[in-house]
Amino acid sequence: MRRAGFGATYQEIHENVSDGYDHTVDHLLDPNVSDGIQQDMLRRYHPDHSGGLGTAGMAFYWLHRMVQTQTPLREKVALFWHHVFATGYGKLAQGRVLMDQVEMFRQHGFGSLKTLLIELSRDPSMIIWLDNQDNHKGAINENYGRELLELFSMGVGNYSEDDIKACAQAFTGWTVSNAKYMKMRADNDSLWPYGRLNLHFEFDEDDHDGSEMTFLNETGVFNGEEVVDIICRQPATANFISRHMYNFFVADEPPVPQWPYREPRDPEAIQILSDAYFESGYNIAEMLRVMFKSEFFKSENVRSEKVKSPAELVAGVLRLTGESRKLTPKLQGDANLLGVMGQQLLNPPSVEGWHTGTEWLDTGNLVERINYAASKFADVNKPGIKEMIGRLAADAGGVATPETLVQDCLDQMGAISLSKTSMDALLNQASKTGKSEIGTDERETDEDILGELLRLVAATPDFQRC
Amino acid sequence: MEFRGFYYPVDLAINKEGRIYGLNRSHEGDPRGVRICMFDYDSNYFGAFGSVGEEDGQFTWATSIAIDREGLVYVSDEYTDRISIFDSEGNYLRKWGEHGDMPGQIDGPASMAFDNDDNLLISDHRNNRIQKFTKDGRYVSSFGKEGEGDGEFNLPWGVTVSSSGDLYVVDWRNDRIQRFTSDGEFKSKYCESGSDEGQLNRPASVAVDKSGHMYVADMGNDRVQVFDPDGGFVMTLEGQATVSPWAQEFLDASPTEASARYESDLRVALNARTGGTYEKRSHIEHLFWAPISVKLDLEGKIYVTDRNRHRVQVYRRV
Repeated sequence: MRRAGFGATYQEIHENVSDGYDHTVDHLLDPNVSDGIQQDMLRRYHPDHSGGLGTAGMAFYWLHRMVQTQTPLREKVALFWHHVFATGYGKLAQGRVLMDQVEMFRQHGFGSLKTLLIELSRDPSMIIWLDNQDNHKGAINENYGRELLELFSMGVGNYSEDDIKACAQAFTGWTVSNAKYMKMRADNDSLWPYGRLNLHFEFDEDDHDGSEMTFLNETGVFNGEEVVDIICRQPATANFISRHMYNFFVADEPPVPQWPYREPRDPEAIQILSDAYFESGYNIAEMLRVMFKSEFFKSENVRSEKVKSPAELVAGVLRLTGESRKLTPKLQGDANLLGVMGQQLLNPPSVEGWHTGTEWLDTGNLVERINYAASKFADVNKPGIKEMIGRLAADAGGVATPETLVQDCLDQMGAISLSKTSMDALLNQASKTGKSEIGTDERETDEDILGELLRLVAATPDFQRC
Repeated sequence: MEFRGFYYPVDLAINKEGRIYGLNRSHEGDPRGVRICMFDYDSNYFGAFGSVGEEDGQFTWATSIAIDREGLVYVSDEYTDRISIFDSEGNYLRKWGEHGDMPGQIDGPASMAFDNDDNLLISDHRNNRIQKFTKDGRYVSSFGKEGEGDGEFNLPWGVTVSSSGDLYVVDWRNDRIQRFTSDGEFKSKYCESGSDEGQLNRPASVAVDKSGHMYVADMGNDRVQVFDPDGGFVMTLEGQATVSPWAQEFLDASPTEASARYESDLRVALNARTGGTYEKRSHIEHLFWAPISVKLDLEGKIYVTDRNRHRVQVYRRV
């Protein structure tokens, strides 16, 4: 659940175990399950959830969704596509249109890659981000055409410069309404006179170059939809998307710019996913189903082989502590910290997105991350922590050994595995506890001892991984 | 923050002299905009007061504003459960309010209105009731409880008092308006859930004119609906904002942006593309986007606080 979602509580894990692994996967992928997000409450109490002036309010909203959603995989897939199809606030200067793109990822992110790429090409934030409003008949702008091939579908080395030009030509006329005014407002970061003006797609037929072209060895008259169709048929697309999926959900790969030069850590897994891509008609949900049910996903070799992104870390902690079950303005502080940790939602550093894996960590933000996790478990009155301590005390019943106590804590924190070093540290702390003290009526003692152990678990390097 | 303008305005109140107090909630990501700004119908600006925080004179989730007979300004905060009182120039005077669910305690004062005895009615929304207090915070009475039946509420929001003394409560999550006597006895209810004419979707506020016509901020449907005294549908207001004097000053000072704006067609139609996202009104500038409060001045002009567009649209009944 750490990799398919944002972690799970002890109760959720036990429910999943009782339902069975395959059933849990199918449930995560079921498009008919409601996410349980109370939009009306958000709109009432948090104006910027709908107004979307900047990134702060939208980050609050998205973090709230990650913490509260009953469809964590759908939310995780939206985050996945936000990473792959990186589009940044720095050039758009409004949160609303970017959050609409994320909503599009929720709606289409489980379906056909072909549909998703067409929706992406129409997405007004993507159009402005990659200057497609400046892509004209007779004066093409290659930006979107290039990135569609290089970063969003096939990867470097699988197309020519002529293919880039042809791809750009296919998307001439794919623009936004009132493009000049909207671009100016974005450049000026204009809130005036009446807040942000959302963008919407417009196809300018007069500005579209419908002349014959050759694209990826196919010749014809191709508009954007036909070009996407050709792209989706390419094995390179299957491989590239599969490797992205592996990197995001299974185990860390090197950064994308290195992919042309470094083999995947598990080429067989990439092939399995690529086969699933074609067999399912480019269906993302079916690729995910194959992935989650595969031996390569369940293997011990990839356990804890992913460094959590800041969003995964923060959302996971908040799901455990239970402190955000009710809407509270305090969630903004957690949302702001994502940027401090290196992942400002809706504002990736470039069209390449974020560099993941160990590149999430440097000496500065590693300390920030560890301190954040540990400090969040300091207040034992938070509902989730209270529940954990209650269960731990009941399980201990006055006869806990350090080993059982530590294992119980790890279970409560989401069935975490520790390295030997971390385990030894926790056992050392647990052995200082008087065995007869836990689970007695000495409530304060329970909270002190067990709360400290939970904080120590949160402070381990292992907690930073999933 | 001391400058002219709005930042997610959520309510306004108008004193006998015509001064308008606009309550700005701002948002957690940028709380600098929390304040009450003072202006009038002719767009004259008289300054601002208040700021974000939990100290005296500060707000976290400012939600409602009302003026008593003496012209004192009352502001409710649904996070601190506090009623703060200022003089007509915005100088802080005092506060009251205690969190809880006992009579006289409050949990989320979402809206306020003075009755004909100058007592303060508060929509105590998380307690699903309406409470009456004296101006200095002494508990008088209350009515309502959680539910869907007559006289029951689900997170009630707007409250107003008609010239006849009847109380009108916007029953937010039940998508209806309920009407009571001044003592809280149920009289009638209006509307049901939906987006058709006469239906409501998470309404926020109601104003009642001298003839008994109701003006409802149907916030979830991004419109204001007008009903006759018996609750019969009269008309829908979708918003038709023009460029206000303050907006014109901005455009006059920004000729390049103004020029690009004048070349644009901002009156786009709602269509499958604009309607494909949750916040359709984010695309169309002149329409209401989260209309959150409706108030009437002494002449009967209708002031709609248009939250997500950071402005007030004013109508006159013809």
